[in-house]
Amino acid sequence: MKDQLKPGKLKSVSYAKWGYIFIIPFFVVYIGFTLIPQFLTLYNSLFENYRVGLNQIGPNYVGLENYKALFTAQSDGTILILKYTANTMIMWLMGAVPQFVIALLLAVFFTSARLNIKGQGFFKTVIYMPNLIMAAAFSMLIFTLFSKVGPIQLFLEQQGIIDHSFDFFAYRISVRSMVAFMNFLMWFGNTTIVLMAGIMGIDQSIFESATIDGANAWKVFFRITLPLLMPIFVYCLITAMIGGIQMFDVPQVLTKGNGLPNETTRTLVMYLNGYLGGKNYGMAGAISVIIFIMTGVLGGVVYKMLSAQYKEKTSAPKYHRKLQRGKEA
Amino acid sequence: MKKLLVILLAALMLVSVVACGTGTNEPAEPGDKATQAPAAEQGKVFNIYAWNEEFKGFFEKYYKVPEGVTVNWIINPSDNGVYQQKLDEALLNQANAPTDEKIDMFLAEADYIGKYVDSDYTMDISTIGYKNAPTMYEYTIKAASDTKGVCKGVSFQCCPAAVIYRKSIAKDVLGTDVPEEVQAAIDSWEKFDAVAAQAKEKGYYMTASFAETFRAFSNNCTKPWVDENNNIQFDDQITAWIDQTDNFIKNGYTLTAGVWDQEKTNQMFADGKTMCFFGPAWYYNFSMTNAMDPEAGCAGDWCIVKGPQAYFWGGTWLLAAAGSDNAEMLKDIFETFTVNTEVLEKMVKDDNQYVNNTDVVKKFAEDPEYGNTAILDGQNDIAVFYELAKDIKWENHTNYDQILNEGLQNKLQEYYNGSVDKDTAMKNFYAYVKEQYANLVVPEN
Repeated sequence: MKDQLKPGKLKSVSYAKWGYIFIIPFFVVYIGFTLIPQFLTLYNSLFENYRVGLNQIGPNYVGLENYKALFTAQSDGTILILKYTANTMIMWLMGAVPQFVIALLLAVFFTSARLNIKGQGFFKTVIYMPNLIMAAAFSMLIFTLFSKVGPIQLFLEQQGIIDHSFDFFAYRISVRSMVAFMNFLMWFGNTTIVLMAGIMGIDQSIFESATIDGANAWKVFFRITLPLLMPIFVYCLITAMIGGIQMFDVPQVLTKGNGLPNETTRTLVMYLNGYLGGKNYGMAGAISVIIFIMTGVLGGVVYKMLSAQYKEKTSAPKYHRKLQRGKEA
Repeated sequence: MKKLLVILLAALMLVSVVACGTGTNEPAEPGDKATQAPAAEQGKVFNIYAWNEEFKGFFEKYYKVPEGVTVNWIINPSDNGVYQQKLDEALLNQANAPTDEKIDMFLAEADYIGKYVDSDYTMDISTIGYKNAPTMYEYTIKAASDTKGVCKGVSFQCCPAAVIYRKSIAKDVLGTDVPEEVQAAIDSWEKFDAVAAQAKEKGYYMTASFAETFRAFSNNCTKPWVDENNNIQFDDQITAWIDQTDNFIKNGYTLTAGVWDQEKTNQMFADGKTMCFFGPAWYYNFSMTNAMDPEAGCAGDWCIVKGPQAYFWGGTWLLAAAGSDNAEMLKDIFETFTVNTEVLEKMVKDDNQYVNNTDVVKKFAEDPEYGNTAILDGQNDIAVFYELAKDIKWENHTNYDQILNEGLQNKLQEYYNGSVDKDTAMKNFYAYVKEQYANLVVPEN
């Protein structure tokens, strides 16, 4: 018996367990520092739990009261959390649209065999540079430039374009543009580099055969590059969106936490941060849960929408067939 | 089988993480350990929490740290209540912190001193052998005492505040720069407003910040910001300040800058166009350095007068933290900055401070030789402050004052610079208050 079993056992020696062992650290860290805190946040959001000075109030179980409070309208009908959600999304879109357009354009230019741009390393480094600056430092810089005693204000005053009562921080469009501009400048380089990697992953022979078949640059871009790039593009878009929903440091520092003007640049996380000032874990928890749900839903929607399109468009063979049919005819 | 093992392992890890989590989540009990009498053995590390470098400067200049003791300064800015948040965290953890990391002393301002004084986190200073000197201003003792009258700290300064005016501008506007005559011209708010109109005609600003006069009003309130049922209430003085500011902004008598903004402090340079600044003695060194700038400044072009309404502003109290193991050093520091006349006289002469010792300030007030030349034209400012300090009372303060005072100014600033209407500004103020203090009741919003 024993003799028979031994060789059999030897055959079934498997190294798969090492795979599991190697991924344990990730799961431990993920469970300990992400999953459990997430459930604790959900749990905390069901309690009245804050501090007044040095005195702790609660925690008292209040069910969904915190959520109810968040969605209660003010006397003029505004629901603050929805207003701040809108602020966040608008500022993100204002930065993300140019970010993706420019990044796509640059990625295509840099990878184009026809253009063959020289000094790519230099440009890639330069466009990535803004990302290396601390967001807070960058905001301080922009704040100083546009403040009432800053060089831009003084210059425009000297030119007689504006008078002294003008204040860049009194206009919604100007402050939101500053935030969007900073986010754009900080992130377009990063997106360019990821998209370039995506494009370079596409088989060059497809581009070549398309060119030989007489497709112009537009057609190559829309019919080959974009569809085949879609998985990477969706990844970029979703990670950028998650970052956008969590936008905090840039507007916080730029407006000194005041969301100037009239709370139109206060983002969701700035709202959350306001509650943390009073150690209001109940309300802050409820906001976090809402942000989490929102991120999940939006991520899912974007993924579904774009990847469905991607499936339709990756019918590259169809395109070839069309071309061939055209030739035959 | 292997799967089971993996799941088991993962579950074990999970349990251990959870266990750790609940272990450290125990809220720190304010505590028994912290309030124990200080041990005779003195600690080697002295930790001080502060919100700026002002006192640090005096401390390093005038206090000789005992040999072998390291002094740690933990400085957090007070904007948006950050200083208090950090300090609260540290105090709540005081009982569990290792001896060398416990706070020994921390600084507190008039706006929130009550919160710390009325808690177990501060220590009765009579237990470390410090006796309140009779030369200290009564209000500074009252502010540092809890509801039972137990004193928890001392203040090294007394903060009667005045109107600090530019002589050359006053001469142009009023035809005189003599303090008595300037005072006669602005000794009520009606007159002050009238002079503002005159200044405007000549191309000057009366004040350089919409909130410049805030403290002059708010420190004369007859009821506290928050009543016993946690309702926010607006005192007539606050309303009067808002009315005055509406008028000032509408007519261009002042700027839309905040009290600490650079746009305002730029007005202190020689080419500034502002006649009046409001502040106590600490304001010179701390906020008027532009005026004393050797090149662009205008030192000597300033005088002080009482102004429309007597008030005081700020003040820094040194509080003894419960759980400190440096009782002797604490006592020593308190004595240095309240009764050591040699040090205090230097602080008046060299640093233009108004110290918390009536003997010392009286001596300077009555000294015909003394005059402030660092910023003023040689006027005896101590004599002016000495008169003003007699009337300071400590009343109607709440622990919420910092957030309410600053929040109101921040939100109204948006109204004054034209980005929102007044109702919206007030709504934003109430929303801000609710975020910071969930227990406060704000008007229907």
